[in-house]
Amino acid sequence: MSRIIEEIYVWRLPVRLYHWINALCIVVLSTTGMYIAWPLMSAPVGEAALHHSMALWRYFHYVVAFIFIGNFLYRMYYALLVNDQYARFGGFRPWSPEWWGVPFKEQVASYLFLREDEPNYVGHNPVAALAHFVFIFCGSVFMIVTGLAMYGENNPGGFTETWFGWALPLLGGSYGLRYAHHLVAWIFPFYVIVHLYAVFRHDIVDRTSVTSSIITGFKHKVEDEASV
Amino acid sequence: MPTTQTFAEVFESRGISRRDFLKFCSFTSVSLGLAPSMLPKVVEAMEKKPRLPVIWLHGLECTCCTESFIRSSHPMTADLVLNMISLDYDETLNAAAGHQLEEIRKKIMKDYNGKYILAVEGNIPTKDNGVYCMIGGESFLNIVKETAAGAAAVIAWGACASFGCVQNAHPNPTGAVPVSEIIKDKPIVKVPGCPPIAEVMTGVITHFHTFGTLPELDRLGRPKAFYGTRIHDKCYRRAFYDAGMFVHAFDEESTRKGWCLYKMGCKGPTTYNSCSKIQWNAGTSFPIGSGHPCIGCSEPGFWDKGPFYTRLAEVSFLGTDTTADKIGVVAVGAAAAGAAAHAAVTAVKKQKAGNDEKK
Repeated sequence: MSRIIEEIYVWRLPVRLYHWINALCIVVLSTTGMYIAWPLMSAPVGEAALHHSMALWRYFHYVVAFIFIGNFLYRMYYALLVNDQYARFGGFRPWSPEWWGVPFKEQVASYLFLREDEPNYVGHNPVAALAHFVFIFCGSVFMIVTGLAMYGENNPGGFTETWFGWALPLLGGSYGLRYAHHLVAWIFPFYVIVHLYAVFRHDIVDRTSVTSSIITGFKHKVEDEASV
Repeated sequence: MPTTQTFAEVFESRGISRRDFLKFCSFTSVSLGLAPSMLPKVVEAMEKKPRLPVIWLHGLECTCCTESFIRSSHPMTADLVLNMISLDYDETLNAAAGHQLEEIRKKIMKDYNGKYILAVEGNIPTKDNGVYCMIGGESFLNIVKETAAGAAAVIAWGACASFGCVQNAHPNPTGAVPVSEIIKDKPIVKVPGCPPIAEVMTGVITHFHTFGTLPELDRLGRPKAFYGTRIHDKCYRRAFYDAGMFVHAFDEESTRKGWCLYKMGCKGPTTYNSCSKIQWNAGTSFPIGSGHPCIGCSEPGFWDKGPFYTRLAEVSFLGTDTTADKIGVVAVGAAAAGAAAHAAVTAVKKQKAGNDEKK
């Protein structure tokens, strides 16, 4: 193994906390959400009034959803207002053609095995940034808005319904809304697989300890081996 | 029957007592969700205001809305319901026919210009200039446009006129559209359902008659008083839903016990209507009460959200048997397979690079 030449503190504690709360929320929300769509457990015995099986799954989904929303908003605050060079939105400029230029193309070429060397980034590489934006940012916003619209249906005329109910006619009513929420939910397991694979692969190929960096916060720069 | 008659006069001539008349007024106020203090206003309107002239058009439809309407139990008899309004033109219910009837329509449009109500039952085929629905030699498309021009307001009866129903389900061969796509400059109230509940229909008319305006509408243009909550919210089987006690097949013990029909594809959780409150046929029952899952007939595009007996709709453009879950499983599987393949290529390349180094 090659020698560690530099230790860089990349992911500060708030970022790491956000990551793990988010990961946990996604796992719980996916599980409870799929259960609500198709309740698997066999029926309890006795009077219906004494049991709350389905009600509890839904309640759990709501509670975790609000933690997820809070965590997301906190991350947005951190990305927009806190000056953390690896965690802010500053470098991400998909509206400018420049952003799609050489670094992005190099990274794509590397993933497609069209280049021998691996471009190295301390923070997110441009492809990773784009993927996070599409799946985690856009995906979360969509799930939060449609989720709140559904939550609002429990209390017509209430706060949530007033502010998020507009999503209903947009998606063809209550059923279309549920359908969209359910379909888009699948991007999370999809992305978890892609994300985990990319992280483990980078760890092996670049040896920057990207996997442990989300626990310790540190990434390593290693001495370049001429061969790889 | 002259249109200048008031409701009270009609009731009297039918031998309905004052007491019953007041009962009808209170019931109507309650079903409209009005405060008790509004009752005198309803009574006054019923007593003094001349009946509302209504032109009721039938387009591409099955007449189930009319069938429902004439079965309203409050007001008391079906025949009284027909006197709620001055139904001057209705192809199904009028005694007159042919040119005679068309003349009546023209006369109402002239005499009550800007005052009459246009009630549309059924939707409007627009393909090939609307030739798929011709009435008296004229396309329904033209008739609706012509009649709506002088109307005070438009009532879209049923799922057809409100959202489209079966005629504009995929692939919609006649290009059928709901009324709101044709008439843009008039207030429209949508009263969806296939058919709508009779009491809901009479309630909407009474509201307009009393206040001269349409009732408060929700985001989809439906009166909040009747479409404000989901069937699920007021369903008497809700306790079974919350407890997780579901019917899995129609020949199960759970069906006899009347458990929740959620897993049988019940659309109650996504359907805004009054079925679980007002119920049907004088409060006799409603689909879920009779052991059948709700098919969501008052929701937009409910035919394309089938099958009726499963929870998750099929994604029609990917062929039958494709649901959101199948798409999801395939996508996740593809991600895993892609990752594995990518890993294999990476390993091979590394190996090769290593070998090259050794040479």
